[in-house]
Amino acid sequence: MAPIVQCMGLTKTYGGKVALNQINLSLERGRIIGLLGPNGSGKTTLIKIMNGLLGPTAGAVYINGQKPGIETKYRVSYLPERTYLHPGMKVIEMVQYFQDFYPDFRLDRAYDMLNRLQIPPAERLKNLSKGTREKVQLILVMSRDADLYILDEPIAGVDPASRDYILHTIVSNYNRNATILLSTHLISDVENILDEVVFIRYGNIILQAGAEQIRRNEHKSVDRFFREVFAC
Amino acid sequence: MLGRLMKYEWKATWKLLLPMNMLIIVMTFLACITVRADIFDSDNDMMVFGAMMILLTYIGSMFVVCIGTAIFLIYRFYTSVYGDQGYLLHTLPVDKHHIIVAKVLVSTGWILAGMALMYASVIFLFTERGEFLADFIDTFGGMIEYWGGAGMSGFVFLMTLVSVVFSVFARVLKVTACISIGQLSPNHKLLTAFAFYYGIYFAQKILSVFYFALIEMVNNLMDIDRFSYFDNSWEETLISGILYSVVFYLITWYMMEKKLNLD
Repeated sequence: MAPIVQCMGLTKTYGGKVALNQINLSLERGRIIGLLGPNGSGKTTLIKIMNGLLGPTAGAVYINGQKPGIETKYRVSYLPERTYLHPGMKVIEMVQYFQDFYPDFRLDRAYDMLNRLQIPPAERLKNLSKGTREKVQLILVMSRDADLYILDEPIAGVDPASRDYILHTIVSNYNRNATILLSTHLISDVENILDEVVFIRYGNIILQAGAEQIRRNEHKSVDRFFREVFAC
Repeated sequence: MLGRLMKYEWKATWKLLLPMNMLIIVMTFLACITVRADIFDSDNDMMVFGAMMILLTYIGSMFVVCIGTAIFLIYRFYTSVYGDQGYLLHTLPVDKHHIIVAKVLVSTGWILAGMALMYASVIFLFTERGEFLADFIDTFGGMIEYWGGAGMSGFVFLMTLVSVVFSVFARVLKVTACISIGQLSPNHKLLTAFAFYYGIYFAQKILSVFYFALIEMVNNLMDIDRFSYFDNSWEETLISGILYSVVFYLITWYMMEKKLNLD
């Protein structure tokens, strides 16, 4: 089966600064993949290009064999690193919004997760804490039956106690044939759910390997290995 | 998807803009009571002062609603398209044309509704009791005749209304185009948008001066006493409205489709 994501010579420059440097990357289906790198390494730029929020300077990215556009947006469920929900809307209205625009949105799944996290659907988003708003956003994104979930720092804004639940939510609510691309700094928290990791530095992919392969070959955790590779 | 986008655009705007427009209705009634009760002939200074304050508040509310509507619609476009909410809007499986059309139609609707309400309010304030409808139609007809030229017909009436709608479209799209250009700037998005707005405004004025100079020249050369190439001024308004609408629409679309730059 063709890869869900394929980057070919993908380059992005801002003025004279190179954010992504001729990236060639292929991501298979049915995997949970960690996109790992220090601040400013190009993770978010790569994710934005995959979602059509930025255009590449050169090269191309293909999602399901297509360049980012309306068709790929039907298949990609994206969680950005910032809150994109309208603060004046109620949780229930945002659920309705997602249901209106995404045919693959599962209403029952969304309400089940809201109940389990005890988030009142009638509450306005502006009345919720930042962490709870991020949970709502994650619930909306994970309630879709997408082929590719792109999650940019999904656990950065929530307390450690909620992280396990959120990771459990991610792992237990995605279609098994789908791929999750997860960008984070908190590697030790996510390490156990990753099938594969992609290390990115200065806009270059420096490693793409299985998480188990790293642990077996390097005799250390992915978190430890990451700290060594990216040591200042 | 266009219908759904318009539904959510309406939902996001009515909560503020409807009460603002209701304020005009309330202030109109208060001002009418003040004017018709002959309070200004009263010997009571406090009553006269109160009446003056009501009329000043009425006039002030007009300005507040005009400026408030414009600022809110600009803010709404900027935050929902190029701010944080843009991350959701631009990852929806919808055509960029639909996004622009939904926002422009709803904004134009609010502006036209505001204009109609203010016009009705002024007529209501100065008309005799029971003659509002007659005065409304008379004054409206007079305005259309002034704008549409002599020999008013149903066609001219309709085209004059269409030209007004397109001139509002052009103004709304000019703002969306400038905000869309402004988002290219890494650090000064709004400042860049303002700079482009006034640059385009200045360029439009120069174009208009050239146009009228050309008409004058043709008039002099052909020795005719005709101010414009067109018989009626609605034609100029309509053509310039359509031309500017198309140009600003294409700029907005190009920036959104090809040059999107969300921070």
